[in-house]
Amino acid sequence: MELETLLQREFVLLDGGMGTLLQRRGLPLGAVPELANLEHPDWLLDIHRAYVEAGSDIIYANTFGANRCKLASTGRSVAEVVSAGVSLARQAAAGRALVALDVGPIGRMLEPTGDLSLEEAVDIFAEVMAAGADAGADLIAVETMTDLQEARAALLAAREHTGLPVLATMSFEENGRTFLGCPVSAMALTLTGLGASAIGINCSLGPRQMGPLAEQLRQYTHLPLILKPNAGLPDPAGGGYDVTAEEFARELARLGEEGVQLLGGCCGTDPDYIRLLKGELAGRVRRRREASVPSAVCSATRTVPVDRVRIIGERINPTGKKRFKQALAEGDMDYILSQALEQTGAGADILDVNVGAPGIDERAMMERTVKALQGVTDAPLQLDSSDPAALEAGLRAYCGKAIVNSVNGEPAVLDAVLPLVKRYGAAVVGLTMDQAGIPAGAEARLAIARRILDRALAYGIPRQDVYIDCLTLTVSAQQAAAGETLRAVGMVKEQLGLKTVLGVSNISFGLPNRPAVNQNFLTMAMAAGLDLPILNPNVESMTAAVRCFHLLTNVDRDARDFLAAYGGEASAAPAAPAPSGEKRPLGELVERGLRGEAGSAARALLAAGTDPMALVNEVLIPALDRVGEGFERGTLFLPQLIQAAGAAQAAFEAVKDAVAARQSGQSVSKGTVVLATVKGDVHDIGKNIVKVLLDNYGYTVVDLGKDVPPEQVVRAAREHSAPLVGLSALMTTTLKSMEQTIALLRAEGLECKVMVGGAVLTEEYALGMGADYYARDAKQSVDIARRVIG
Amino acid sequence: MELGGELALTGVDHRQALRGLGYGDREPDGGTLALLERCEGELLAAARPRWRCRVLDVLDRGAERVRLEGGLTLPGADIARHLAGCGRAAVFCVTLSAGVDALLRRTQAEDMARAVVLDSCASAAVEQMCDLAEARIREAFPGCWFPYRYSPGYGDLPVTLQSPLLALLDAPRAIGLCAAQSQMLTPRKSVTAILGIAKGRVERGERDGCGRCFLNGRCTYQLRGKTCGT
Repeated sequence: MELETLLQREFVLLDGGMGTLLQRRGLPLGAVPELANLEHPDWLLDIHRAYVEAGSDIIYANTFGANRCKLASTGRSVAEVVSAGVSLARQAAAGRALVALDVGPIGRMLEPTGDLSLEEAVDIFAEVMAAGADAGADLIAVETMTDLQEARAALLAAREHTGLPVLATMSFEENGRTFLGCPVSAMALTLTGLGASAIGINCSLGPRQMGPLAEQLRQYTHLPLILKPNAGLPDPAGGGYDVTAEEFARELARLGEEGVQLLGGCCGTDPDYIRLLKGELAGRVRRRREASVPSAVCSATRTVPVDRVRIIGERINPTGKKRFKQALAEGDMDYILSQALEQTGAGADILDVNVGAPGIDERAMMERTVKALQGVTDAPLQLDSSDPAALEAGLRAYCGKAIVNSVNGEPAVLDAVLPLVKRYGAAVVGLTMDQAGIPAGAEARLAIARRILDRALAYGIPRQDVYIDCLTLTVSAQQAAAGETLRAVGMVKEQLGLKTVLGVSNISFGLPNRPAVNQNFLTMAMAAGLDLPILNPNVESMTAAVRCFHLLTNVDRDARDFLAAYGGEASAAPAAPAPSGEKRPLGELVERGLRGEAGSAARALLAAGTDPMALVNEVLIPALDRVGEGFERGTLFLPQLIQAAGAAQAAFEAVKDAVAARQSGQSVSKGTVVLATVKGDVHDIGKNIVKVLLDNYGYTVVDLGKDVPPEQVVRAAREHSAPLVGLSALMTTTLKSMEQTIALLRAEGLECKVMVGGAVLTEEYALGMGADYYARDAKQSVDIARRVIG
Repeated sequence: MELGGELALTGVDHRQALRGLGYGDREPDGGTLALLERCEGELLAAARPRWRCRVLDVLDRGAERVRLEGGLTLPGADIARHLAGCGRAAVFCVTLSAGVDALLRRTQAEDMARAVVLDSCASAAVEQMCDLAEARIREAFPGCWFPYRYSPGYGDLPVTLQSPLLALLDAPRAIGLCAAQSQMLTPRKSVTAILGIAKGRVERGERDGCGRCFLNGRCTYQLRGKTCGT
């Protein structure tokens, strides 16, 4: 029998706890439970048989932690432990139940919180799953995940290394989130998209607490649902759980009636629980889902349903932006992240990500940008590229359900991109144009939209995940076109029932008073049925138009969002004028760490003709020096030092803009410093403090991030001909990687100087491992840079 | 015996957070104080402190090791001396949760000054949570005596003990606390510790003091002629 056949039944019974039963048989505290497969096969046969006799249709082999990380200290291989585990389950099942290869978390955290990369995780799971498939498992049960990215890794491994179907469950707290903050909805959207056969919740909670979560789950997936609760919550008196087998069976059977098809138990449950559950389920009927899954996208920690107008921020895009292109060329991820945070702060719900520019490896940059963005923002991303390889790199790295921007009606484009959309479970924007160009009339655009939809459906992409962009044309060139675009939006909405997207700002090219044109077009488009405007949320009139639309269409109930945004203004007097006192000089603003003022003061000085380099050398750096001296004397402290650097940074941004605008090829940089937190270290606040200071003393910092292998440091130092490399290590265990990095830099004959720092280092140790300089703190690293570079 | 669950973080010890920022006992300026209060609020909103504890019998001990119930061996002369006279030991771990890591990452991209203050607040908070956890353990053993809590990395107790300690506590599953390959704890603002439990006061020589600390010689307190007080 196959899983598919089993899923024809009203209910499918899973098994119950394993660890508890092994402990009852004598598994010692702290032992690796999977070793029992080899050491006590009789225990496993007994337990599995008891579950089969209790009525389990699927039993889970004792392979939950049988991965190379958890087995590392045991001297046993993954293959032998997994193979024994699956064989024992098969022997016990004897054809009466299906055998699932049980796959739990690796036990190490993935990036960005931990040090494990997605591909390493896929590789670790692949080893377990290949062994499980070879041993004859009928399916794979991925369970107890708390990191959505780890669950993704498991599903990718299953799909890419076995042909087995997957049951995927994660563990939630009562608030409906995992330890890593993943909500039930994001789990449902993401794992459904990745091709799981059924999804659900296991462990951590009892059946009663799981009820409300199961209801949320139902809303966001069409897949069969799984619940494998614990025997209640841990008993505060220590040991044990608080729900009896009878209560458990009653409560869980009720959730079966509510629509959950696959039911079993987790910690604290035993064959009695399953036997009673089977009895309770007899004769009950499962509620079928009435509504379809809504259009929605998500990050790992936030779901954005397209149930109202949602703003897609357009600013992560180099088109027409010199500063952005420069950031891409320099790999300046901080600039890109600042663009993201500025937009979400201004009201963007989703961020468009376009990193294509001449001379940029778009595939690598897309992957890097997606990883960096999802480390700092919970806004879902829209991956914007015409290069399928870049799209795939972004989709693979992206943890959640993304939007792909875009396909059009051209068959070759559809066939290149839609399979990726399907494979990674994304939503997709379809542009109403094809090889013949953009049709003038709304009817012809609707026809293309229909073609795109049909093709998407043929690839298995659900209807709600196809969004149509009817294309905004510049009204100064084609005045009649605006009306056709709006008409097409309405038609797509009504006749196809699809969500619509529009890049709004194009409308006003070549016109004066663009903000007014954009705002009015946006309002007209929303009235016509636009769901997802792509716009610059930093322009207040645009976000205001969206808020007003929600207010006036009664979507923003009780004007909550509107008042939250503007409520403070209604009663207040007109904004107070800036303090009338004399203007402080830029140097003093920097010393006091006044970021906003420092930026404006610098712009004013530059506009008045001050030479950018003079501004840096004669104002900014002396001001930072004064703060630095105070820091060394102990009259100023770290927050003040960094605030001053932040203020200098704002002034520096103004200088960079001024230099970029001149296109003189002039650089404000004094020289390049490569910075890295060494391999093995996953926390880099120390290195980031150094970076802020160096940045603001006018050095170009190539920041390689954290957990950086020696080879990458060497490559960067060589590529940028950096005279100085700074390395940071936080742990005694990672000093070794620091030493290796220095050794490799020397062996490769690079002439750079190396400075090192970190909590566990001493000067003696630093010089002993071959560093040229030891930096006790961030201020010293600047002194060293001055000595080395000038 | 097992203990654990959620811990309540209701405020950050400002003095401790300021010490982490190098203020010692000096007063911060108004701007820094305002920043500290803002960071405290953000931290309280992001943190979901949890802990997990197992109280184990000391099975046997040598000059350079202590073996606990279940077979875990704590290697090193320092821990052996530290647990002298303790018939039991509470092995525990505390985390502020991954939400704090996410907050720290985001804040570093937004504003480094706020990030360092936040980081120091989080370090102070995790110590406070350890104090709270320790208090719970002490409550459970009235009339007993406890040497100060001891963590992997202190003295010659190897930091590589993190992984087996976490495994023993089922910490990855139960509270989402793991160790990276370098043995760094993830989420970052987390602690593992061992608290000895003795039936009566155990007389020992002098306090361990700086001489046994792994930061000895490079500690910022020492550089300023002070000690951290532990």
